[in-house]
Amino acid sequence: MTDLFFLDGGRDERAGMKTKFRWSNLWIIMRREVRDQIRDRRTLFMIFVLPILLYPMLMFGMLQVLSALEQKPRVVVVVGSENLPPAPPLLDPSGKGFSPDLFDSPGDAGRMVVERQDATSDWADPRTAESAIRHGLASAVVIIPKDLRDQLKRDVEIAIPIQYNSVDEPSQITQLRLKDMLARWKVSIVAGRLARDRKDKSYTEPIEVRALDVATADEKGGNVWSRLFPFLLVMMSLTGAFYPAVDLCAGEKERGTMETLLISPASRSEIVLGKFLTVMLASVTTAILNLLSMGLTGMQVARQFGEMGGGAGRRAVAASFAAPSPQSAFWMLVLLIPLAAFFSAVCLALAVLARSMKEGQYYMTPLYMICLPLVFLTLSPEIELNLFNSLLPITGVALLLRALIMGNYDTAAQFFLPVLVPTLIYAAVALRWAIDQFQREDVLFREAERFNVVAWLRHLIRDREPTPTGAQAVLCFALILSASWFLTLYLSSRGAGVDLATVAAGQLMIMIPPVIMAFMLTRCPFRTLRLTIPEGRYLLLALGLVIALNPLVNELRPLVEWLFPIRRQIAETLGKMMAQAPSLPIAILSLAIMPAVCEELAFRGFILSGLEHQRRTRSAIVLSAFLFGFLHVLLSLFQQLFNATLLGVVLGLLAVRGKSLLPGIVFHAINNAWAITLPRLVGMKSLQPALSAVFRDPAQGLYHEGWLALGVVCSAGLLYHLWRLRFIRPPEPSLAAPVVVP
Amino acid sequence: MIQVERLCKRFLDYERGWKSAVEDVSFDCRPGEILGLLGPNGAGKTTTLRILSTVLRPTSGRAIVAGHDVVVDPQGVRANIGYMSASTGIYDRMTAWELVEYFGRLYGMGRGPLRERMETIFDWLKMNDFRDVLGSKMSTGMKQKASIARTIVHDPPVLIFDEPTSGLDVLVARAVLQKILELRDLGKTIVFSTHSMHEVEKLCSKVAVIYKGRLRATGSPGRLLEEFDQPDLEELFFYLVERVDSGRDVAEARVGPVNANP
Repeated sequence: MTDLFFLDGGRDERAGMKTKFRWSNLWIIMRREVRDQIRDRRTLFMIFVLPILLYPMLMFGMLQVLSALEQKPRVVVVVGSENLPPAPPLLDPSGKGFSPDLFDSPGDAGRMVVERQDATSDWADPRTAESAIRHGLASAVVIIPKDLRDQLKRDVEIAIPIQYNSVDEPSQITQLRLKDMLARWKVSIVAGRLARDRKDKSYTEPIEVRALDVATADEKGGNVWSRLFPFLLVMMSLTGAFYPAVDLCAGEKERGTMETLLISPASRSEIVLGKFLTVMLASVTTAILNLLSMGLTGMQVARQFGEMGGGAGRRAVAASFAAPSPQSAFWMLVLLIPLAAFFSAVCLALAVLARSMKEGQYYMTPLYMICLPLVFLTLSPEIELNLFNSLLPITGVALLLRALIMGNYDTAAQFFLPVLVPTLIYAAVALRWAIDQFQREDVLFREAERFNVVAWLRHLIRDREPTPTGAQAVLCFALILSASWFLTLYLSSRGAGVDLATVAAGQLMIMIPPVIMAFMLTRCPFRTLRLTIPEGRYLLLALGLVIALNPLVNELRPLVEWLFPIRRQIAETLGKMMAQAPSLPIAILSLAIMPAVCEELAFRGFILSGLEHQRRTRSAIVLSAFLFGFLHVLLSLFQQLFNATLLGVVLGLLAVRGKSLLPGIVFHAINNAWAITLPRLVGMKSLQPALSAVFRDPAQGLYHEGWLALGVVCSAGLLYHLWRLRFIRPPEPSLAAPVVVP
Repeated sequence: MIQVERLCKRFLDYERGWKSAVEDVSFDCRPGEILGLLGPNGAGKTTTLRILSTVLRPTSGRAIVAGHDVVVDPQGVRANIGYMSASTGIYDRMTAWELVEYFGRLYGMGRGPLRERMETIFDWLKMNDFRDVLGSKMSTGMKQKASIARTIVHDPPVLIFDEPTSGLDVLVARAVLQKILELRDLGKTIVFSTHSMHEVEKLCSKVAVIYKGRLRATGSPGRLLEEFDQPDLEELFFYLVERVDSGRDVAEARVGPVNANP
């Protein structure tokens, strides 16, 4: 991986001559950049001071507000207290509060102070009571009916009115507390009556609702943390990466030191990696310090709440601020590093575009706007970690962080690799992008220019290149995704289910963007789409590979489905669709040949040609395969990711080596067609002996171990042979060719 | 030694398509020589020098610097040149000593030899009194000295100065020019771009006049004056510029009268 992406010190010179990557230069650059950042007051403040001060101050502020709200007892005026029955008691013996027996804890009882008024006083007039509540003299007024004692004896339903102001929050809360307390008082009155009439408790309460909380202590503790924490941690590592990146790229351009550095013998990879590691260090440090500061503050708060004693509410608050377990914390750190790497590389690549620090700051808003929705997903409990979410760049990490904090170790373990590996890939791609940016003359020596859309479009057509650029390839992929997405939305709004027609329409959406783009944006559309006749041996290789790889591919599918089960509903829909196909030829046409042509035109045609633009064939093949896998995740099942990506690599290699799309189409069509045909053969009695000779499980397409081993050996051999068949691309008739001077 | 043959550089411009910044430029410069690249702003001087320093890649043509081709072996070129321009700044949060040391290390110098070399340079440039001053606290003169020290720390055989005196006051400019002369006497190959005739007269044994991306004349100042029958460099320069602007030079779009590559 590293060799593939970064450590080609000399290739960045595009000189064809490889030079060695010098770790010493990387180290020298990194040491300087770190020292530079440590000497910068802004960076120091952002990384060290802010997290250390922020959380204690936030917590202090929160506690002040809480205690201000909590400690002030609310005045409740009880009008006609002389009419209360002696037992069960509503007021405490002193008459200044309610009876403590009616509350969870003495603390709760202390929150309401009783002011007794006679039934004959002014308070009995509702208008007086209303104005008193409005002026804050009382939070609520309880009126005890004059004949309460009589009523109690007569077993009639008694109304006890509470006057309050629902717009005023303390008054509203007091009213709710009063209601709770009166309900308990009611229960004790009922208990008295039951005792008097010698009836069982179940006489009045036929049903008792018991809510059993299954949350463990870890989970309870993780509740507040798990919501807030992934969000803060992700945003902090982004912030921690952004400022140093802008300073190290745009700042260096602005001060005029960038050119000097580029002219030193350090290669671009060494320079970028040196800067990248510095930015990453800053990002990880910021995140860890935030983590520590938040954890310590949380622990402090939890202890304070614990010491204060109090009711279940307080204990819950205390538990929810407790720090995550050491085990969680460790895995969080492990996750944080690839995330920080991803952010650092993206920030670097963006920052090098900027000509000045000021311009660099402008890029922060769009970056945050993209990251925020991805992190916000974790705030909703509805969004769960699944294979699809784990592939989303930032969401996957944030969801996994949430699972870790909540102590869902099973989920976390299941999705650790599916989150970690894509994140590492994204980080590697972003870093490659950053290095590319550092090699582009137009980025490094960018000058202010007036941007004109018309002129730019004209330029796109006028200055076309033979094959598309990398950016055009990515744009093509984005177009395919959005076109397919809108098609799905449209079809489902029309009530169309998943059938062969919609599949065919989806395939057209995949084919149209690359074909149009190839003809509009490139000078050699046929070369771009690889519409050429290949040498015969590549067709043979495709044929051999599809046969040899089949046992392996079929073995992989149940493995993936075991790890990430397909939802039954989806499996049924798919089964229906397959059953619906009227005949085998039509199924093969719509599910094998059409996808083969359309997807190959898009992925091995336009997209791979574009990614190959920089002549970085290996990365281009891997990246196009990953995009191919990603399309399958979005459009059908995420379980297809693994197969599609692996086959994408083989298809890419076939396309690049064969210089033609045809071997790939043959491979792709046969692979799909066989998957459709095999289940139909299983039903045929006459074929049973042949099938059982080859397959240990014909329905699943699982081969006998011998065939499997043979397949592995053959495909390894064929792939190695294909890999060795390097070819030299013909020189491009480019505008960069030597200009003949008269 | 610098040899430049028919160098071209084109840039892509959204409005106008591909545009030449430098077209068919050839010259050479030998050790102990200072070549003055004379031209107004936007003539293509910086582009040419950036190609020589390998940060820009020529569209066509060849440039050999200190025996290395700028396209084939850019690393080799970079190890053997020192480059300085008015716009190449110094790091704000690094002292003069740290700055020079940093680049010395990047050039692969060992600690011992680097220290010795730095002591020599700091003495030569009289920089010892601001060794430990941060870049942000330095005066313009100090910054220029630090830049020169950074440029020559690895003792490169070839030095490229892109308008090193622009924006400097006369005292600092004079000191910079003096140091360049001293470097020439040490046998360095020096290319020096400027739009000041006075500096060319003072320093250069050879001058290349560049205007609108093309070389208009090359040779020693004396020979050029004789050739075009002009009294001084300033007159010569305006004569060449006018000749291009009036369209008379289009037919003579070949390389100047004294060809660097006979």
